[in-house]
Amino acid sequence: MTSNEDTTVHERNRLPRRQILAGGSATLLTALAGCLGSDGDGDNKSGPDESTPTPPPVADTDSSPQIPEVSDPPEAVYRPAHMADMNHLGAVEAGPYMVSPMLSYPHSFWLVTGSKAERVRPQGPGVHLMFSVWDRQTGTVLPVDVGAQTQVRRDGEIVDTRSPWPMISQTMGFHFGDNISLAGPGTYTVEVQLNPITVRRTGEFANTFETTQTATFEFEFDEELQEQLVNNITYFDKKQWGKQEALEPMGGMSMGGDESTQGTYEGGSDMNDGGDGSKMDDDSGMEMGGGMMPYSSLPAANSYPGQAVGEPTSGDASFVVRYLTDTAPVEDGYLFVSARTPYNRVPLADMALSVTGAVEGELVQTLDSNLGHHYGLAGSLAPGDTVELTVDSPPQVARHVGYETAFLEMESMTVEVSE
Amino acid sequence: MGLPDPSTLSRRDYLRALVAAGGTAALAACVDAPGDTSVPAGDPTERPPRQHAWNGVLRADDDGNPQSPEHHVLLALELSATITQETREQVEMALRSLESAYAYDPAGLLFTVGYTSSYFERVGSDSPVPEPETMTTLESPEFDDFDAIVHLASDNPEVVLEAEEALFGEVSPNGAKMDATFEGVFERGEPRRTGFIGPGLPAEHTDMPEVPDSIPEDAPFFMGFRSGFAESQAPESRVTIQEGPYSGGTTTHIESLTLQLETWFEQDNHFQRVAKLFSPEHAMDERVGEIGKKLERETGVAGEIAERTEQDARELGTVGHAQKAARERDEDGAPPLLRRDFNTTDNGTPGVHFLAHQRRIADFARVRQAMAGEDIAGEGVGKRLNNGILQYVFVRRRGNFIIPPRDNRALPAD
Repeated sequence: MTSNEDTTVHERNRLPRRQILAGGSATLLTALAGCLGSDGDGDNKSGPDESTPTPPPVADTDSSPQIPEVSDPPEAVYRPAHMADMNHLGAVEAGPYMVSPMLSYPHSFWLVTGSKAERVRPQGPGVHLMFSVWDRQTGTVLPVDVGAQTQVRRDGEIVDTRSPWPMISQTMGFHFGDNISLAGPGTYTVEVQLNPITVRRTGEFANTFETTQTATFEFEFDEELQEQLVNNITYFDKKQWGKQEALEPMGGMSMGGDESTQGTYEGGSDMNDGGDGSKMDDDSGMEMGGGMMPYSSLPAANSYPGQAVGEPTSGDASFVVRYLTDTAPVEDGYLFVSARTPYNRVPLADMALSVTGAVEGELVQTLDSNLGHHYGLAGSLAPGDTVELTVDSPPQVARHVGYETAFLEMESMTVEVSE
Repeated sequence: MGLPDPSTLSRRDYLRALVAAGGTAALAACVDAPGDTSVPAGDPTERPPRQHAWNGVLRADDDGNPQSPEHHVLLALELSATITQETREQVEMALRSLESAYAYDPAGLLFTVGYTSSYFERVGSDSPVPEPETMTTLESPEFDDFDAIVHLASDNPEVVLEAEEALFGEVSPNGAKMDATFEGVFERGEPRRTGFIGPGLPAEHTDMPEVPDSIPEDAPFFMGFRSGFAESQAPESRVTIQEGPYSGGTTTHIESLTLQLETWFEQDNHFQRVAKLFSPEHAMDERVGEIGKKLERETGVAGEIAERTEQDARELGTVGHAQKAARERDEDGAPPLLRRDFNTTDNGTPGVHFLAHQRRIADFARVRQAMAGEDIAGEGVGKRLNNGILQYVFVRRRGNFIIPPRDNRALPAD
């Protein structure tokens, strides 16, 4: 079983600049020890305090400070040993989209190829740059690979061009992100190019998101930011590590509550009624630096229209299966499948699902303005019919810690339409 | 542009930096650099009727794959005269002077002269090539809207620099005389693009922040693998125009790309790189080897593997770039494009000038759209994610050119 650790800052040979926090192990450990001891909330911390700067378990080499990690995580969503801090920048408008940027320290994540997750370790000083993209009208996070592209500039000069990975994180939900090496302190400008969405769109999303849009934001990269990000890492009690549960969405961004029908689905309707992209139900977003940032949680199973067919699980993912008969996108019979993480209901995008039995075929990944992200197929079902759902390939989105062992080996599921 | 410092660079790196800098000062520095600089002279009557007929004189690697020359310059030109018999003769004479000065050989000079739709609009005739346009939903490129282009290629860096300067009357080419130059007919346009190709050349660029140390030592291309396998290249006859005033000519599409190599080499592993560049089958069966030598002359994606593209997306969550492109091969299995692409560090970042010849620009568009894999995005792979190499390439510019046959290469207006 894999174990994991995060490297906060890591020296890179070719950078001439004096490395703050990375100048040597003494500096690093002092910084880390300081941050671990400073909170005083000893009950929730497993790290050392200032008087006993014992480093946490070291999993890597060199002078990098290491973060404790769960050594034998389950093949399921699990609670990590720590929670990263985020620096939220103000949301930026770009045509029909809002882009909410966030910064953290460079950290490990996992790329998925087929059913294998391959760890990516941070490469040098810099930031983990993230942003979520959401529909300005409905406040819904758009949880699919839009092929976004970023250019980072300092003093007008391009220092980085890349396409951040579509990722899922327990605290951040679906977002785009990558570690970006930065060659020193300064003001960095990030231009995000959002390319047309080609995933099937229905409802009010039909014929939308079809033009390229650009959002630009800036951030200051300095010692203060690095210290803040490192100092504000939250360490959990060892007893909680690896438990089959998930960290809550960041900052109380919410998921709406199991019993309620709040969440993106109805929250979206409220937004429409308000007709103002800057307002949002308290339950479905958090206010950040002049902009709201919604969390990509899907509605609870019982808040969807149509007939419940089942809520099977596979690879620790939950599948909400419903049969819709008088609801768009297809009015005369539609098999609706919403794949999501347990606990936080983060949509699982870019997977391939097919179905056999009473309805047969490949389900199509769809963004619907009312139903949100799902996989669907037109077809008729009658009471007593069964269908077998097969995960042809698991969600290929990259994973933050706590999601890297789940949603990989996914067995097929059989559901039956009740009488 | 300042000249590179020879004390901080390897000889080969220094010479490439001089080609990138351009101009007479760079040429002088290149001449002064140590090394064998004797260049064979040529004879215009030995050049074939097709400007793009290079394969006959290219070196081959151990497996018989033709090797493109090491150094390349793409010279943009703006027309500054009207077309008359006199200006045509002037252009033809300038080109023939280069052909006399340098052998028809990679040790000498290989070149093509091409024209854009802007040129034909300016001279008032129908363009045989369309205006460049956006080809995928992942790009917002600039377009080549200058009038003409000269693609200069040689294994000798001094030759490409000197030939460029000679066309503008700045120097004599290889000790010979220019009977005419482009002066008064063409002015330099923007952008001036340069590049290189060859085993080990990309790995010499690890001093650039964007080129990771982990690039394989002997890789000929930035992506770390061989490219231009004989079997995946169109024969020259396949890309040659068969009828009309440009019969015997071809078209060129130039797509200038920026590459994200840190992600490619330091986040992805070799298995993922092989799966994304060739196909998941290539990765699972270890068909490629470290840099592709195991493939010898064939990528092996045509046929069965290309036909599995959609299935691989759904079942394996990954498809290969070559696999997607091979879906657009001809019925007899021939690829429609003849690639003469090369690496670049123009603008201080690693990239590729993806230059391809094809009979019609539409052939390029068709293959390029197959590479973009928009038909499979959302069907197991993302728009970029695991969809070939789209995560790592960023289109910056596109241009379309007609490359007339050699006897119609000087200011055509048919």
